[in-house]
Amino acid sequence: MSREQMLATLRTSLASNRAWLEAEAHKASHTPPPFVLPPADDLAAQFAAELTKLEGRVYQVADNEEALETLATLLEERQATTAVAWDLAEIGLPGLDKLLAERGVQVLEPVVRDEVRKAQLQVLEPAPVCLSGAEFAIAESGSLVLYHGPGRPRLASLLAPAHIAVIRSDQIVRGLGEAMARLRERYAGTLFDVTSNLTLISGPSRTADIEMTLSLGIHGPPELHVVLVQTP
Amino acid sequence: MATQTLHFHDRVDTALHDETLKTALERATTRFVGNRAGAIDALEDADGLRRQARALRANALSKLDELLVRLADQVEARGGKVCWAADGEAARRYIVDLARDRGVKSIVKSKSMASEEIHLNHALEHAGFEVVETDLGEYIIQLAGETPSHIIAPAIHKTREQVSALFEKHLGMTPTTEVPPMIRAARTALRQRFLQAEMGISGVNFGVADTGAIAIVENEGNARLSTTVPRIHVAIMGIERIVERFDDLAVMLQVLARSATGQKLSVYTSIISGPARPDEADGPEEFHLVLLDNGRSRILGGQYVESLMCIRCGACLNACPVYQAIGGHAYGGVYSGPIGAILTPLLQPDLPDAYLLPQASSLCGACQEVCPVGIAIPDMLLRLRADAVKAGKAHPVETAGIKSYALMMKNPLVYRAGGRAARLGSRLIGRKGRIRHLPPPLHLWTHGRDFPQPQGSQSFSEWWEERQKKGRTQ
Repeated sequence: MSREQMLATLRTSLASNRAWLEAEAHKASHTPPPFVLPPADDLAAQFAAELTKLEGRVYQVADNEEALETLATLLEERQATTAVAWDLAEIGLPGLDKLLAERGVQVLEPVVRDEVRKAQLQVLEPAPVCLSGAEFAIAESGSLVLYHGPGRPRLASLLAPAHIAVIRSDQIVRGLGEAMARLRERYAGTLFDVTSNLTLISGPSRTADIEMTLSLGIHGPPELHVVLVQTP
Repeated sequence: MATQTLHFHDRVDTALHDETLKTALERATTRFVGNRAGAIDALEDADGLRRQARALRANALSKLDELLVRLADQVEARGGKVCWAADGEAARRYIVDLARDRGVKSIVKSKSMASEEIHLNHALEHAGFEVVETDLGEYIIQLAGETPSHIIAPAIHKTREQVSALFEKHLGMTPTTEVPPMIRAARTALRQRFLQAEMGISGVNFGVADTGAIAIVENEGNARLSTTVPRIHVAIMGIERIVERFDDLAVMLQVLARSATGQKLSVYTSIISGPARPDEADGPEEFHLVLLDNGRSRILGGQYVESLMCIRCGACLNACPVYQAIGGHAYGGVYSGPIGAILTPLLQPDLPDAYLLPQASSLCGACQEVCPVGIAIPDMLLRLRADAVKAGKAHPVETAGIKSYALMMKNPLVYRAGGRAARLGSRLIGRKGRIRHLPPPLHLWTHGRDFPQPQGSQSFSEWWEERQKKGRTQ
């Protein structure tokens, strides 16, 4: 059956209930609330507390230098020699390229396309860490908003057993409604022009499918580390 | 599908006598109910958010034709393809033909109730493709050759010992009673499946008309892998699963996560709009959106239209005392619990005993209470019961029983005589305030539970008359 036939069937059906549905639709405002929980004193502290509850780790650091030290420790602990990462410029932490070079960490920039797709995936698969930035962080839910696109591959928050993300405290918003409104303001009608994907991440991969026992890392990274740099 | 060989009452009976299932159901539903309640109570304005969610679902349904066109046009403008599937057959044919045409061998799937509804795996396997369910719960039941027993937790009926045995047999895992090694075994086995697959199939939680996107929520990361790693992504969406605006997600994602598992948001929410763009480093090269009607437009025009507001959170399953006792398989269809008792007779009217499902409710109203979009589930269950009777599907004993009940209630003399007989009878067969065996056809009641023996020596009407007389003499 074609598109037009299916739509015609739909329209015929809708005719009998459209008025009732419209009345139901008008019973509440359609504008989402910017946030849904009572206010907290400090957004950075709220974000850190929420993500910690979800088994994520948050490192609140004073400046870029301390951020680099934290990253160095995380890479050292995982004995990382490779990392699946965003373009370092997109992560936006000055000195990160130098740190990785000094530590001998090779940045694997995914080019997972065409005939080389499967071969590339096998190259990326053994990497012990993923490195990314984020567009926003949401305090109420301990979430990261990753606006993927050129230079910001999806696999750089997905493939390895540890995902390390770097954000600044001025990127934190209070609720999901606020984050979505800001995205719309920032990108207006162009949100999906050069990118096909926007992902919210709230904690490490989890499942409770075996006897309701919480387990981390069934498919996505079992570890999520967020280095949160205080903005002056 | 194996469960459908049994009659509904036999499936219920089997479930009620399964001690393992009983423990698992209690553990899961208690946890879900508690988590949900905590997450809802924490909200500043839970009622307000719920009213908004309902209004947004009603709004989307009221202009469903227009919104589907907007969604489809934008998906196509971004290089995606759209299949308008009037029924399961059309959807299956499109996906099987696509896989054949593209030389696909191996397919990974993330959780999709719509694909279960149209028995997609069966069709794909029959056509010679290797299909792997990658949600851990779905993977477990696929290995066991079963169907999901819960919308959110498909394998809650399986014990860790059963899972260990399945992984030992299929993955060569060393038997264990610890969960972490099972998780590692599944991660390792499934990761290679992802990397080798040419096609990923996903469901859709919400289509977003104004941005031409789909939103998929999950906790494991298998949906992200299924929609990122393989060359082709096919998303199957029931046509009603749409919202008008990107901002609507801010309401819907939060009520969905809180109602389903008590999370503030699911671990991963992917908002996907078409295939990867030319300058993106990863993502699928092809994106296909299958818009599935399969009976939904019929529901849209009828008295059960409200059931299309459902966002598949599973809260009504967890809250339902009947579901808590019998679990998902007893319902026989793809959708279980209170909402399943409505959707199954409407979406799968060919199932021989689907008309019995609306009977599997005490009409206590717990489902409507927890429903994030306030669907009037008990009311619809009642109307479906009436439909079944009108269609001549009522059991003859039940019809006879209701008729004699009506006769008795309309005639005071018969009513009193009947009451006296029942009182006398209950005194004869009752022990210690309980009746364990009633005579046929009432034995169906005492088969599963005791009947309380009526207390006191007179009926309410006798007592009332006496009281009135006394009142007059005073």
